[in-house]
Amino acid sequence: MIKYIIRRLLYLIPLFFGILILVFAASRMAGDPVQLMTGLNPHITAEAKQQLREYYGLDKPLYYQFLVYVWKLFNVDLGNAYAIRGGLPVTTLIGQYIWETFKLQLAGLFLSLTISIPIGIISAKKQYSKLDVSVTTTSLLGTCIPVFYMGIIAIIVFSYYLGWLPPFGAHSLFPERYPFGNYMLDELWHMALPTAVLTFALLAPVVLLVRSSMLEVLRQDYILAARASGLSERTVIYKHALRNALIPVVTYIGLYFGGVLAGAPITETVFNWPGVGRLFVEATRRLDFPVIMGITVMITMMTLFANLITDLTYAYIDPRIRLE
Amino acid sequence: MSKELLKIENLKTYFDTWAGVVKAVDGISLEVEEGETLGLVGESGSGKTVTALSVLRIVPRPGKIVDGRILYRGENLLEKKENEMQKIRGKEIAYIFQDPATSLNPVFSIASQLIEVIRRHQNVGKQEAIEKAIELLRLVEIPDPKIRIRDYPHQLSGGMKQRMAVARALSCQPSLLLADEPTTNLDVTIQAQILGLMKNLKKKLGMSMVLITHDMGIVADMADRITVLYAGRVCESASTITIFYSPMHPYTEALLTAVPHLAIKREKLAVIPGTIPNLIEPPSGCRFHPRCKYARATCSEIVPPLEEIEPEHYVACLRAKEIAIRSPLES
Ligand SMILES: Nc1ncnc2c1ncn2[C@@H]1O[C@H](COP(=O)(O)OP(=O)(O)O)[C@@H](O)[C@H]1O
Ligand code: SF4
Ligand SMILES: [Mg+2]
Repeated sequence: MIKYIIRRLLYLIPLFFGILILVFAASRMAGDPVQLMTGLNPHITAEAKQQLREYYGLDKPLYYQFLVYVWKLFNVDLGNAYAIRGGLPVTTLIGQYIWETFKLQLAGLFLSLTISIPIGIISAKKQYSKLDVSVTTTSLLGTCIPVFYMGIIAIIVFSYYLGWLPPFGAHSLFPERYPFGNYMLDELWHMALPTAVLTFALLAPVVLLVRSSMLEVLRQDYILAARASGLSERTVIYKHALRNALIPVVTYIGLYFGGVLAGAPITETVFNWPGVGRLFVEATRRLDFPVIMGITVMITMMTLFANLITDLTYAYIDPRIRLE
Repeated sequence: MSKELLKIENLKTYFDTWAGVVKAVDGISLEVEEGETLGLVGESGSGKTVTALSVLRIVPRPGKIVDGRILYRGENLLEKKENEMQKIRGKEIAYIFQDPATSLNPVFSIASQLIEVIRRHQNVGKQEAIEKAIELLRLVEIPDPKIRIRDYPHQLSGGMKQRMAVARALSCQPSLLLADEPTTNLDVTIQAQILGLMKNLKKKLGMSMVLITHDMGIVADMADRITVLYAGRVCESASTITIFYSPMHPYTEALLTAVPHLAIKREKLAVIPGTIPNLIEPPSGCRFHPRCKYARATCSEIVPPLEEIEPEHYVACLRAKEIAIRSPLES
């Protein structure tokens, strides 16, 4: 098992550097950083620009700049933003926003899994029953609705018409007006709508996946064999079948997790949620390359990390992988 | 005469599919006596597996037992509740699958799959169950049982897997073992080993056995009595010697002619002409008539009943008495 983990880790290193090179190259192709930094200042002199270039090391050869970037990366330094928040260090910026993103995404993921896995199992157990048909139809419809659309509809219904939930933001503006008295409850109240939308977005595909994977497993001989041994229906389904049926679900969650930050800009923009997704959108709008790069690097690391966790979960579930 | 352990009467198991109702088992009757081995033979698709699964009442959807009685020690299993059946499965009646590669759950260790069954049916603690499991592996002649028990199915060879499956089936000392083509997917030497092992264990544990196979060579060696199935019905049922030396049903004759090592003396290996019929709309009358060389017009009109033509020799053929089949073994 330890050998397996080490092998997976070693495999991640070249991948990470490959992506880093691509991201770095892409950011340089976007134009001269100094030009971008000073574009809005008509009075800047060529001399000042040259000074800036030297200050940021942009006069050095490209490979050297890349090495410096990597070196700084190892020291958890992603450079400073050009302009966002007065040029705060990117790591500080990300640190301020990332938890909001995690909170939302993890809550959505957790809720949708706890709902969708049992529904998928029951639906598979009662294949072609009325329940199964309605679950399948609803889920198919669910997978067709894009998150941003669902989000906007949810805001219109629950905030605008019903007025139950706040349409955006993570907190009420004025602490003395927290409708539930304290900070925690206020945040939960704000989280409710975006979390619900994320949960629904994930619900449908996971239900369908669990159902189809379960149906596949239930047809296997070892399930019949488990029944033939007199095991209870509960043991057959929740032990013998589920463990096998979850293997493809783990892949899906792994991929989803990798895509969480990539998908965050949409949800966070719709709900104006103060997470890295919204930060990313802002950085793109203002061509703030250190921030764009920093977030991209972080997304890469997250994705690779998610892959690693997926592989380990796989190995835990499936001894054929663990023991190769 | 010894007591009957299992008696199936007019069993019908149908599959309600999109294409129509597949009458996989359509009125099968058979008996297994205490301590005996019944060979259940027939071509692939004749309903052997579905019959065995019906006994345990684990026919997968959309299969349904629609008629008949399955008497085990005189009690009709079809009237039992699901939780009563769970106490019979694996404890009283055990089942071994055709393909050992797929009948063990790939994600659990051998130990866990054995212990689970032992603890389900016997009131023992975990440690005791582990010891019993190791004892079982010894019984099925697996070397280094203490080490092998920690293996996962994919780490074992086909023969070893089937031994594990036998161990699981025998874990609670069942009175009846349903062995569904237990050696079909194994190579010849391993096949002989597993059959030898099963023969020994049967004697040692005093079980009865239904040995399902399409290989007449195997039943010749193992079975006391044979029931021949064709397209979901019984053709003939008699002692092994009777079936081999004085068969009365044309399909049995055809099966015997097709046996490789029984046909060695003959010029060439005969195959049964034609294919097994569609079970959604099976042939009328005698289901074998499209392939039977003795068929007459009446054969497609009248369903031949299963009759005791001689003592302990049951045949379902309208012309059984007049055609006077000679055993292919004697030619
Ligand atoms: N799940 C199923 N759905 C539809 N038909 C089935 C199913 N399982 C078995 N059958 C049908 O039942 C018949 C008998 O099958 P089976 O008992 O497996 O034959 P055997 O074991 O003698 O080879 C076959 O014609 C097969 O098509
Ligand atoms: S009843 Fe007729 S068709 Fe059927 S086996 Fe006998 S002779 Fe052949
Ligand atoms: Mg079969």
